Amino acid sequence: MDMLLYRGCTTPVRLPAYEAATIAVLEKLGVNVIELKDTNCCGAQYVESMDRMAFASMSGRILALAEREEKDILAICGACSGSLKTNKHFLDHDIRARDEVNSLLAEEGLKYSGKVRVRHLLQVLAEDIGFDKIERAVVKPYNGIKMAAHYGCHVTRPYEIVHVDDPENPTILDRLVEAVGGQAVDYPGKTRCCGGPMLAMDEDVATTIGLDKIDNVTKAGADGIVTACVFCDIQLTQVQFGGGTSDRQKIPVLPITQFLGPALGLDEDMLGVELNKIDPHSVIDCCGVSQ
Amino acid sequence: MHTCTTKGQEKSIHVPTSAFAKEVEKVEGGEAINKCIQCGICTASCVVANATDLYRPRRMIQKIILGLREEVLSSDQSWLCLNCRMCEERCQEGVSPAEIFLAVRTIAAREGHVPRVFKEAVKTVLEDGWMLKDAYTDFQEDEREDLGLNPELHMNNEFVGKLRKRYFERKKAAEESGS
Ligand code: SF4
Ligand code: SF4
Repeated sequence: MDMLLYRGCTTPVRLPAYEAATIAVLEKLGVNVIELKDTNCCGAQYVESMDRMAFASMSGRILALAEREEKDILAICGACSGSLKTNKHFLDHDIRARDEVNSLLAEEGLKYSGKVRVRHLLQVLAEDIGFDKIERAVVKPYNGIKMAAHYGCHVTRPYEIVHVDDPENPTILDRLVEAVGGQAVDYPGKTRCCGGPMLAMDEDVATTIGLDKIDNVTKAGADGIVTACVFCDIQLTQVQFGGGTSDRQKIPVLPITQFLGPALGLDEDMLGVELNKIDPHSVIDCCGVSQ
Repeated sequence: MHTCTTKGQEKSIHVPTSAFAKEVEKVEGGEAINKCIQCGICTASCVVANATDLYRPRRMIQKIILGLREEVLSSDQSWLCLNCRMCEERCQEGVSPAEIFLAVRTIAAREGHVPRVFKEAVKTVLEDGWMLKDAYTDFQEDEREDLGLNPELHMNNEFVGKLRKRYFERKKAAEESGS
């Protein structure tokens, strides 16, 4: 299976380990990851807030680039997958908007017709690859380490558009944790936002929201957090370093593919483990050891 | 707001009560505002409202329904929404406060009410084609190379130039000429 990786803006610069771990894990599981070149920002949050058509055009161009390659898009950021799916839905239902976007795309020989799908990483892992196949690929199972899942708002909401998981009770990340020998732990406020989008407007409020989640995860007894969005990963890591947090026990935050990798026998270097701000060895050293 | 409960009048509860509510109703995303029954579930499920007293989604929707146009458009409130859609998930009336605040933002943007961070971010995206060109240094390039990733990100900035002309500069010119 071939998939076109749309990296977005933030992952390649701020969290390249997520990109590397995702490519390594998916290739191990039989997906051929090809980079989508010549892209632009999906338009999330900023252009989205200013002009509906400019937003639709930014995502529309990315979708049209994938159409030219005749392959589905793999998105690993919640904001990117949310924008691409929302705009696909918009352009598939609003013919006038589609014509307007296409009039600009035509200048570079591109066309949006709605032929390719946008797949968030969780859909690729759970549906395109499947839990069975992942379980069978495990060579060094975890010893029941407790992991808390944070899904990311735009990964699961709104369901009618994104079609990933039950937005009120998502389970894909939890099932992935268990597929490789970990134990998924529930915690209050699991589907709440990490606070990341608030950083631009009010950092204190953003930190309060993020730390609230960290507190809930810690109280539930988790040894680590797994994420499925670059912004959530960075935010949940960063809030643990703010003022007044120095005496806190830091809890490692890992993009889901970085957590899966060691259990599939992938080398740490391929997963960018060294780059994590909170050393994740307390988590990843728990695979391949007996319970 | 009307509070009538007899059957024949039930529908009138859902009629938008101000010109501003009607205006929001016409913007993509704002369509359902007239269905809000002011129950407050959105505020109760909002992480921002939970973290600060300064933000109350239900109250903001009430202000729109009451027609407090200038107050709503000139305040930062709609820009504080995370667009996390928890309220939308929970609202029993099919209203999406998240979408409504995005609609309010686009109206506010047309009239020049845009918080500085948003203005700057949009300017960056419309110039570079993406958010982090300036943050992408040799240091990050090396990190990518060490990870076996392509250090050349191939981001396109020509297309955004066309968007700037079509959707942003024209608007600005119209504003300046007062039309
Ligand atoms: S939850 Fe829905 S109906 Fe209730 S106040 Fe909020 S928007 Fe209105
Ligand atoms: S979308 Fe906005 S108003 Fe709704 S719960 Fe999230 S932050 Fe609050």
